[in-house]
Amino acid sequence: MGALLEADALVKAFDGFRAVDEVTLHVSSGERVAIVGPNGAGKTTTLLLVLGAIEPDTGTVRVGGFDLPRERPQAMNSIGFAAGYLPLPDRLEVVEALRFFADLTDLADPATAVEHAIEELDIEHLRHKLCMTLSSGQRTLVGIAKATLHRPRLLVLDEPTASLDPDIALRVRDRLARLNAEHHTSLLLTSHDMREVETLTERVVFLRAGRIIADGAPTDVVAAGGHDSLEGLFLAEAARLREAQL
Amino acid sequence: MTAIAVEAAHGFSWRRVIAVVRRQGLVQYRNPGMWFLLLALPVVDAVLFASIGVAYGDGVAPVRILFTGIMLFHLVWQLTLAGSLGFLEEVWSKNVLNLLTTPIRELEYAVALGLVGLARTVVAMGLIGAVGAGLYALDPDAAGWVLVPAAAVLLLFGWAVALMVVGLTLQYGDSAEVFSWGTLVLLMPVSGVFYPVEALPGALQAVARVIPLTRAFDATRVGIEGGTVAASDLVVAAVGSAVAVALAFWFVLRQLRRFRQQGWVTKFT
Repeated sequence: MGALLEADALVKAFDGFRAVDEVTLHVSSGERVAIVGPNGAGKTTTLLLVLGAIEPDTGTVRVGGFDLPRERPQAMNSIGFAAGYLPLPDRLEVVEALRFFADLTDLADPATAVEHAIEELDIEHLRHKLCMTLSSGQRTLVGIAKATLHRPRLLVLDEPTASLDPDIALRVRDRLARLNAEHHTSLLLTSHDMREVETLTERVVFLRAGRIIADGAPTDVVAAGGHDSLEGLFLAEAARLREAQL
Repeated sequence: MTAIAVEAAHGFSWRRVIAVVRRQGLVQYRNPGMWFLLLALPVVDAVLFASIGVAYGDGVAPVRILFTGIMLFHLVWQLTLAGSLGFLEEVWSKNVLNLLTTPIRELEYAVALGLVGLARTVVAMGLIGAVGAGLYALDPDAAGWVLVPAAAVLLLFGWAVALMVVGLTLQYGDSAEVFSWGTLVLLMPVSGVFYPVEALPGALQAVARVIPLTRAFDATRVGIEGGTVAASDLVVAAVGSAVAVALAFWFVLRQLRRFRQQGWVTKFT
C-alpha cells in the first residue's frame, strides 16, 4: 500500500522563478512531518500544491489514492486544512461556520461532529460569536476545529500557532498530538517555531529556494547540518540566505 | 475522542448545495447592504419608472411598458447579483482557500448560487408586482403569456452574466465587484428595456441587435401592445442566451484552470 500523500517531482514557477523545484514528498498514515525553511523557501507553495489549490507545472499529487486536481472532491474528504493567517466566513457564528464546513464533507452526522469539535477544543463560549469578531487565537482554535471535525486522515497546517499566546499554542499542539495518537491522523505542517517542530513532528523536510536540502528525523537533520539544534540550523540557513541576498 | 462516521464520497451532493444556500441566506440576513439591494431598489425603481410612465405617457400602455421593463430588468439583475456577489462574499471573507480544501464541486456551488438568485428574483418580482398592483392599479402580467418564456430567457442570460463575473473575480478578486452590478447597467440602455431598438442612435442599434436581452424585451412589448406572442423573437433570444451561457461556462472553466495554474489563490488569502 502506498503512502497517504504521494507528491512526486513537483515543480512550480511564477514568472520564471521556481518557487518549488523538484520536490518529492511522501507522508505515511500516522506520520508527523514538518516542512521548514526561511521565508521564501517554498513551504506554503508546497502545501498549496499538496492541497490541489495550485496546479504544479510538472509532477503529480495523490492523496488517499486520489489524483489532484482531477479527483479533488474525493481527496478533500481525507484532508483537513488550517492556517494561522486564514480567516473564517465573516458573517457566520462559530457554530454556523463549523456546520457549514461539516455539511461540505461526507460526514454521516455533521451536527454531532460539530458538537464534538466544540467540546474537544473547549470553545463552547465561542459558539454564538460571529467569526469576524474572534481574536487571532480564538480564530486559530476554531480553524483547527474546522479542519479536524471530519476526522481527516491527513491534516495540513500552515503556521498553526503563529502569533498565539503560549497557552493557546499549547492547546493546539495537544489537540494535534491527540488526533495523531488516537486516530492515526497524519500531520503535515509548516512552522517557524523550531521547538514546536521538535515537539510535534518526527520528520523534518528542510527547504532552501524551493528544493529539499534535508529530509529525516530532526536529530539526523541537525547532525547532518553540523549544528546542535534545529533552531541553530534554521538560524544558520537564514543567515546564509541574507548573505546571498546582499 | 469519539469516533466519527464518514460516508463514502458520492457524486453531486444536495447537502452541500443546501449548505451554501444557507450560508448565503445568513450573509443576506446579517448584511444591511444586501437588504437594500433586495428590498429597497426594486421598490424605488418600480415607483420611479411607473411614475415616469404616468407623467409623460399617453394612456396606460406606456406605464405598462416601463413598469414591465423594470420588472424584467430586476428579474435578470437580481439573479446576476446573487451569483456574482455570492462569490464575492467568499473573496471578501477570504474564504476561497477554505472552500477549495473541502469536497465541494464547482457545479454544486454554481447550483447553490443559482437557487439563491431565483429566491432573490422571486422576492424582487413580488415587491415590484405589489407596487404596480397596489399603487398604480397595474397588472404585473399585462404582457400575457409571453412573460413566461421571456422570463426564462432573461434568467438564462442573467446566469451567463453571473458566470462571467465569477470568472473575472477569480482573476481580479474584489476589483471585479463593479462588474457584478455594473454589467447589466451597461446593457440596459442598449437592450431596449424601455423602448424599441429603433429609438437608439444608429450605431448602437447594431449593438442592440446582437444582445439576446433585446429580443426578449421586444417580445414583451409586442405582448403588451398587441396581446400576441412574438415567437420568432423569443426563439432568437433563447438561442442567443444559450450561446451566452455556453460561452460563460467555457470562460469560467478556463479561468478556474488558470486560477490553479497561475496560483491566483494566493491573492485571496
